[in-house]
This record gives sequence, structure tokens and C-alpha cells, in this order.
Amino acid sequence: MSRAERTEPVLYNRLAVLRAERDLSRQELAEGIGVNYQTIGYLERGEYNPSLDLALRAAEFFGLPVEAIFSRRPFAPMSAQLYPAPAPAGGGAR
Amino acid sequence: MMSASRVRGSRIERLSRRSRRLIAAATMLGLPAMFGWSAFWQRTSVPSILWGPVSFVLIGVTLAGAFVLYRFVRDRADMPGTRLDERERQLRDRAWILSYQVLAVVVVLLGAAVVIPVLGVGSPVTIDAPAATAVALCLGVLLPLLPAACLAWLEPDPVEEP
Repeated sequence: MSRAERTEPVLYNRLAVLRAERDLSRQELAEGIGVNYQTIGYLERGEYNPSLDLALRAAEFFGLPVEAIFSRRPFAPMSAQLYPAPAPAGGGAR
Repeated sequence: MMSASRVRGSRIERLSRRSRRLIAAATMLGLPAMFGWSAFWQRTSVPSILWGPVSFVLIGVTLAGAFVLYRFVRDRADMPGTRLDERERQLRDRAWILSYQVLAVVVVLLGAAVVIPVLGVGSPVTIDAPAATAVALCLGVLLPLLPAACLAWLEPDPVEEP
């Protein structure tokens, strides 16, 4: 099911990034939160929205607040958050 | 070393949604098409030698398709499905809803095929033993298969890497 076919709101997530950071396979993450590895793939592809219970289990697994993993708005890239663009020189109110 | 059946099973599990939809549709249409072909063959001058091979192919489509669908779905279309995760349960429920919708359409079409000629045109409809047998066999074989076919129809493309 593509995002265009969906009727429910899209829930964005950082599962793929967090999994890559921790060098986890989908199977390992799936075993950690008690789902099928295909479900992890569909979550990462944005083709399935998790229940609150599953979202909390993922947050518990990664040791992060749930809003750090799931969001109703697209996430800004991690690099942009870690290294925000400097304010232009001479800019700002006088 | 991985056994041949395991490899075959994993190939079936990796089927794309497009392929699965094709298989599901062919499976559900094979047996009714065989009865339709037999009725056509009886009423026309099609050579008898063609009846057997064509019927065999059409039944084979349903049997082979049923095998593939059951191997793909396994126990995921069953109730209560305690081993399923929340997404699989949600998909199973959608498959059952779709099954009922398909069944409702089939019942309405069968009813219309009987009622419209009688009430609309006034011509009698004869439901003889071969026709009743064909309907009963189609329902008996295809009805249990319908939830599995619907689940295979609905399941998105698989995730490649575990």
C-alpha cells in the first residue's frame, strides 16, 4: 500500500535511522519489541501506523521518548539538528 | 544447508503483491471457468479431445493456486491468531471483511442470474443437477479459500531484508 492509497494519517518515524545507528537487523528489532520482521519493514516504509502499545514498546527498546521516534510531521535530518546552520553574519534586528 | 522445500517456501513468501493478486484471481476463477468450459463444450461442436486437457489445466490452476496461497498465508488467516502481531491481526480482519464483501457480491450476482430472467424476461430458469453440483463444488472448494486469497491480495509487497 503506497502512501497515496492510504486514508489514515501518515505517522513518520526514525526506526530505520535508530536501527542503523545500533547496527540492528529488522529481525533483531522485531524480536526486541515482539513483532514480525515484516512489520518493522512496513513501519519503516510508512505503510503501517503502530498502536500506542507498539510505539511505547519501541520507545522502551531504544530508551528514548516516544516523540523522538514517532511524529505526525516529517523529521528534520539528524545532521541539521546536531549542526544547525549558523545565523547569517550581520543579520538580526538592530 | 537449506532444504528445497524451505527455499520454495521462502520464494512463495517473497512473491510480489502483483504476482499474488494474479494467483489469487486465477485460483478463484479456475474452477468456475472449468464448469463454464464444460457447459460450453456440451452445447457446441468443440472437439471432445480438447475437453480433457483444457479442463485439467483450469482445475490445475485452482489447485496449484490454492497450494501457493496456503503456503503464503500459512495460519495468518485463521482465528484466533494468538501468534500474530497487531499488524497481522489487522490485516487478517481486513481480509475477512473483504471475503464477506466478495461473497455478498457473488450471492447477489447468482440471485440476479436466476431472478432477472424469470421476473424480467419471463423465461424459466432450470437449475438441473449438473448446475447445482457445479455451484455446490465451487462454493465448497473456493469458500474456505477465500480468506487466504483476500489476505494474499491485501498484503503489501514484502520486505526483502530480515
